[in-house]
Amino acid sequence: MNACPENVIHLMDDYLDGDISPSDERQLREHLESCSDCRKQYQALSKTIAFVQSASHIQAPSDFVQKTMARLPKERQRAGVQR
Amino acid sequence: MDALVNKRIAKVLKGDQNAFAEIVELYQHQLYQICYRMLGNKQEAEDIAQEAFMRAYVNIHTFDQNRKFSTWLYRIATNLCIDRIRKKKPDYHLDAEVRGTEGLNMYSKIANDDELPEEELMRMEVQERVQYEISRLPDKYRAAIVLKYIEELPLAEISEILDLPLGTVKTRIHRGREALRKQLSNL
Repeated sequence: MNACPENVIHLMDDYLDGDISPSDERQLREHLESCSDCRKQYQALSKTIAFVQSASHIQAPSDFVQKTMARLPKERQRAGVQR
Repeated sequence: MDALVNKRIAKVLKGDQNAFAEIVELYQHQLYQICYRMLGNKQEAEDIAQEAFMRAYVNIHTFDQNRKFSTWLYRIATNLCIDRIRKKKPDYHLDAEVRGTEGLNMYSKIANDDELPEEELMRMEVQERVQYEISRLPDKYRAAIVLKYIEELPLAEISEILDLPLGTVKTRIHRGREALRKQLSNL
């Protein structure tokens, strides 16, 4: 990746953050088309993100609200009084 | 959503505890999910998520209603999670960061100590593997990655939750992403 412009990695990061300008995106795409090392890195990172996002949504246990409420102090402290 | 929550908060401030139950109802799943992904353990996630709600309740008079309640609540929870993670690690003092090198410390090495043998990784279910890989991330990257990719929160909100400048949040996400890529290179 020695011959790659130094900012490519930043462009890739911006792109993966979903925070890139159209002209930067064009620049990144052009580079990825011509550079297989950067393309591999980009694909690996995209795959990594997809992998993390495949985590299923987790729900709190059904008695969560009830248990949480049971843990609260019975009388609310007056404003300014810290426990 | 925020107007609705602020109405509940006003009631809580007047001493109506039931109004707080409605707030717990609204945020329970997201808060529990953050804790679970941070801690990788259901019991601990439940304990810390309840603790976070409890602290939010006790300190509700300090919440600025011009701000987003979820941001405040998630901040309480992520701080509790990070404390819990660090307490479990006896070598926490090695976390001392080398100045000017965001994230470069002994801690990242320790976090990778519990790597499982290849055969065991191969036997894991996908969901198990996702959680395992998230758990191997150093806590500072883990929080940013969980908030960004599991909760899908905007960067500006993550920066508020973690009380870090936007640039630092980005760096942590980038480093976390790269660390995960390396962890997954055999996948």
